[in-house]
Amino acid sequence: MEEKHTWDWRTELKEIPVSEWTSRYNWVEDPCMTPDGESVAAIVNLDEMAFGICVNGELWDGEHEKAWHLVALPGNRIAAAVCRDEEWSLVVDGQAWENQFDFIWNLSATPDGKHISIAFQKDMEYGMAVDDTCWEESFENMTGMTLGDTGKTAAVVQVAPMAAADINAFAKGVFAVAQDGRFGEERFLNAWDISFDATCDNLAWAVRLDREQYSVAVNGTVWDSRFQQVWQPVFCGDAVVAPVRYQGQWRLFMNDEPFWLNGYANLWRLKPSADGRHLAAIVAQEFGRWTVAEDDQVWPVTWDTMVRDIYYSDDKDTLLAVFKDCGAWGLARNGTAWNLRCDKIFTPDMNRDGSVVAVGFENEGQFFVAVNDQVIAGPYEAMGDPVVNPEGDKVLVKGIKNGVYRRQVVTL
Amino acid sequence: MNAFIDFIMGPMVWISFLIFLGGLGYKLYRIIHEVRTKEGYVFSYLTWYHSLRSIGAWLIPFYPRATRQQPFFYGASYIFHLALFVVPLFLSAHIVLVEEAFNVSWPALNDTFADLLTVVIIASLAFFTGRRLIQPEVKFLTTAQDFALLFIVLIPFLTGFLAYHQVFAYQWMMILHILSGEFMLIIIPFSRFSHMITAALTRAYTGSEFGNVRHARDW
Amino acid sequence: MNPTENTLDQAVEEGLERLTQERITRTVNQVLEKETGARFTAYVETCMRCGLCADACSFFLSNDRDPNRMPAGKVKQTVWEMLEKKGRVSKDFLRRAVRIAHLECNVCRRCSMYCPFGIDIAYMMLLVRRIIHKLEITPLYIQDTVNSHSATLNQMWVKEDEWIDTLQWQEEDAREEFEDLRIPLDKPGADIMYSVIAPEPKFQAGLIYQAAVIMHAAGMNWTMPSRPGWDNSNMAMFTGDNEISGRIARAFYETAADLNVRRIVMGECGHAFRSVYDVGNRWDAWAMPPFEVVHALEFYHELLTQGRITITEKYGKKVTLHDPCNVSRGRGLHDMAREVVGMTCSDFVEMTPNREHNYCCGAGGGVINCGPPYKGERMVNNRVKAEQLRDTGAQVLIAPCHNCHSGLEDIVHHYELNMEVKFLGDIIYETMEKRVYTPGV
Ligand code: HEM
Ligand code: SF4
Ligand code: SF4
Ligand code: SF4
Repeated sequence: MEEKHTWDWRTELKEIPVSEWTSRYNWVEDPCMTPDGESVAAIVNLDEMAFGICVNGELWDGEHEKAWHLVALPGNRIAAAVCRDEEWSLVVDGQAWENQFDFIWNLSATPDGKHISIAFQKDMEYGMAVDDTCWEESFENMTGMTLGDTGKTAAVVQVAPMAAADINAFAKGVFAVAQDGRFGEERFLNAWDISFDATCDNLAWAVRLDREQYSVAVNGTVWDSRFQQVWQPVFCGDAVVAPVRYQGQWRLFMNDEPFWLNGYANLWRLKPSADGRHLAAIVAQEFGRWTVAEDDQVWPVTWDTMVRDIYYSDDKDTLLAVFKDCGAWGLARNGTAWNLRCDKIFTPDMNRDGSVVAVGFENEGQFFVAVNDQVIAGPYEAMGDPVVNPEGDKVLVKGIKNGVYRRQVVTL
Repeated sequence: MNAFIDFIMGPMVWISFLIFLGGLGYKLYRIIHEVRTKEGYVFSYLTWYHSLRSIGAWLIPFYPRATRQQPFFYGASYIFHLALFVVPLFLSAHIVLVEEAFNVSWPALNDTFADLLTVVIIASLAFFTGRRLIQPEVKFLTTAQDFALLFIVLIPFLTGFLAYHQVFAYQWMMILHILSGEFMLIIIPFSRFSHMITAALTRAYTGSEFGNVRHARDW
Repeated sequence: MNPTENTLDQAVEEGLERLTQERITRTVNQVLEKETGARFTAYVETCMRCGLCADACSFFLSNDRDPNRMPAGKVKQTVWEMLEKKGRVSKDFLRRAVRIAHLECNVCRRCSMYCPFGIDIAYMMLLVRRIIHKLEITPLYIQDTVNSHSATLNQMWVKEDEWIDTLQWQEEDAREEFEDLRIPLDKPGADIMYSVIAPEPKFQAGLIYQAAVIMHAAGMNWTMPSRPGWDNSNMAMFTGDNEISGRIARAFYETAADLNVRRIVMGECGHAFRSVYDVGNRWDAWAMPPFEVVHALEFYHELLTQGRITITEKYGKKVTLHDPCNVSRGRGLHDMAREVVGMTCSDFVEMTPNREHNYCCGAGGGVINCGPPYKGERMVNNRVKAEQLRDTGAQVLIAPCHNCHSGLEDIVHHYELNMEVKFLGDIIYETMEKRVYTPGV
């Protein structure tokens, strides 16, 4: 996110009153804030079956019979799914797409915010659309929609008919993976968890070949190895790595060969570092004890409930984990847990080397921001994720307090 | 002959007890080891509190609902199991032997009472056998092995009883009594009699799953 | 193909035809040797063949004490024989095993409370189902639900847009009652994720409506997910497809994690509760569920005792309560259920036995999911439940579990019991005051 440089890191405080919206409209739905904190938006009800999208107090043009799926995207754009006369479309920054659909959902955007994709249903057929361009072919059913970093799309699609309760058709395999709407010859009993590589030239996904045999498909070619179960494969540099259940344990395979030496009670959510030289995963070393493994080395701590996600800093020095232990959430950095314990914890952000980590959290219904285990802001009634500036000396805090949205730049 | 009797009353007793206790100990170790390596999840749920709670509930006569539905059988089973331990351990003739060998002793049961309990054991075994022959759901499960197990328990008590009352040839009865008693001890770890220890384990696990995970009672 | 004494449905029969002896033997042995351990051995070796578990089982009791239907009898006809024959069992044997494990056992675990050793017979029946799954001879209809789970992560082939559309449609309808009612979708950081089973959007969308009204009136900060992972049911755990079962549970909890909620509230379903609270999580190495899972029963109790929902006038008809095994024996919620009934109904009569000792509805454990071909035998197999219900003389039967609900409706109909079957939510919805809770008022 190089564009962070261009944000306003100078103005200490910008305020937008939001509670007054409730007096203007029948009701105001949950607010969302753009990453740069310059906009706060909500779906608002204007009248019976009339909805609008209010951004910084201004309504976008147009009333909609229905509106949902309001999200702030990377690149600081705001989008929502809206419906008029039973036709759904996507509005992005107030501009509606030309295409209209019978239904749309699963809105996603590339990390640079340049491309936006949705899943659509039209005349009971399914497909994906990117930047207002639809797949040429649509399908009987579709799951597992995936948007690659450069704006390519893929999904698991049903390519052969299957009557109700037709388990024979199912057993023959009716699913394929379609990339940008085109699919190959291969049929699978099941296909799940598609991953693109960084350039979107290659695809990998998990497959089930029969009742008992699972494997990994790379660009449609299935590995020779067979596993008891497979979680999402990912690209790590040029290689494909996948957590697989093999001889009763979870192991990591790379390009069809055993990779990590250790077996685990569970192993999932692989995260390669930005340079692709390191690989981390959430693991349970033994039943019911969770931790993080980096290059097959586990952290010296374990937690009893779960590890939700892990994050590498841009230059790999730092690996963060959001975990839950004894019912409370916490954050750990390179194997050491913060003292912070909370009811909910949001997505952390950090500077390049990860020396400054900021995260929003909630305790007893109030929201706060912590930086390096110190609470620096709060309480708020609602909050967007805080952002650390690239230099690591400022934190952008976005919260609503006493009915006023406050965009605050806190100097550390 | 005397040498043989000396053997079965001396070293063989040692051997039997060694096999009995060692066998059960080894079995316990094997189970715990195997659970640890193959079914580690078991220990995530097992708690002392819920295990003992369940075992305790099932040790109280007629406390579990199921036992009240089969009062006759459970009555017989409770008394049978109690007598099974009480009679051999507190029989004056056994205590005398121990006192001779180790110079330790403990209070003995009144002989007539012990005799009565022996009859109860024999009667219970007869009842268990009858049940296996007559009651359809038990008959359905029963195989020769089940009769054999009942027989193995029966013999030491029956021969002891007969010897005490000096019916038939006392010496032969005695030999049979000693041998069958030792056989019973030896066979315990290798047969379904090992329920002596596994009962506590299965109950503990079920009690823990019910109590610890599912917040419910299992009795 | 209609099942008879000697044949089962098409999926089983065709599956059996495909099998080779080699595959049968290999599969049986693989499951019994590789996938079990000391626990299984202890169950097999400890069982004294005493027959005490017989009285536990509604199948046994409903069939004039037929030993074939007693818990240990089912083990004898399946597991023991597989062990004895070292896996070399015949197709006819397997056909019988399918019937026993899938149609003659609700895996209700009642027998664990009647066996003096606490032997878990349901566990062994599930092992048999695992073998059946691996041999691809699982009954047709339940297999289709597992197929659906594997492809869509819900049980009924509900498509992703249909799900969202249904929620929006219920939201719109419910605005007749509360102008500003919402079913908030994907609200990050909400306190509660509300989750249901797939039959709700498919056939009983009105239940989502009721839940939304209750949530709204109680002033809860709640959300429902738009993405797959909303379905808390899990038929794979009942067919022994542990891999798919684990995948379902993972999707469910990761949905809650993505939404960053504090706890998960679920509709009135027993087996779904079991799947997320007790079974699915284990395959994923979560010893306990990573989120607090609150069954509707418990949730209603909370709302009523905290005064978030008030009852205008108690329900007047004579009601009785069925304890779903998966939330009574499975979670100990039976006393709470009685309190909720007490707070909402004026005339309550117990059925006996009850609480942990309830008889299963006969539909649970995937039995009803084996579909219409087996409905007739299901009715025969739960005569005791019908007798138990008839003895209460109640007009209304409250069944806070989807499976029980459907199963009991069949029973009520078949035995002409003339009872209305209701969810607790139905009663609360009917009797509650339709106003929004504000703290301190
Ligand atoms: C602490 C030790 C023991 C416990 C907790 C225990 C428990 C049980 C239980 C729960 C049963 C099932 C049915 C019933 O209640 O009768 C049983 C049956 C039985 N036990 Fe034990 N037992 C123990 C020791 C022994 C020993 C040492 C023996 C003999 C060597 C024995 C012989 C039997 C027999 C023969 C039966 C079967 C009754 C029948 O045929 O129905 N038990 N035991
Ligand atoms: S689990 Fe339930 S249905 Fe199955 S054998 Fe036991 S009591 Fe019967
Ligand atoms: S009650 Fe337990 S020990 Fe007795 S036959 Fe049934 S399972 Fe076996
Ligand atoms: S359907 Fe209901 S009564 Fe039956 S097994 Fe499930 S929870 Fe139990």
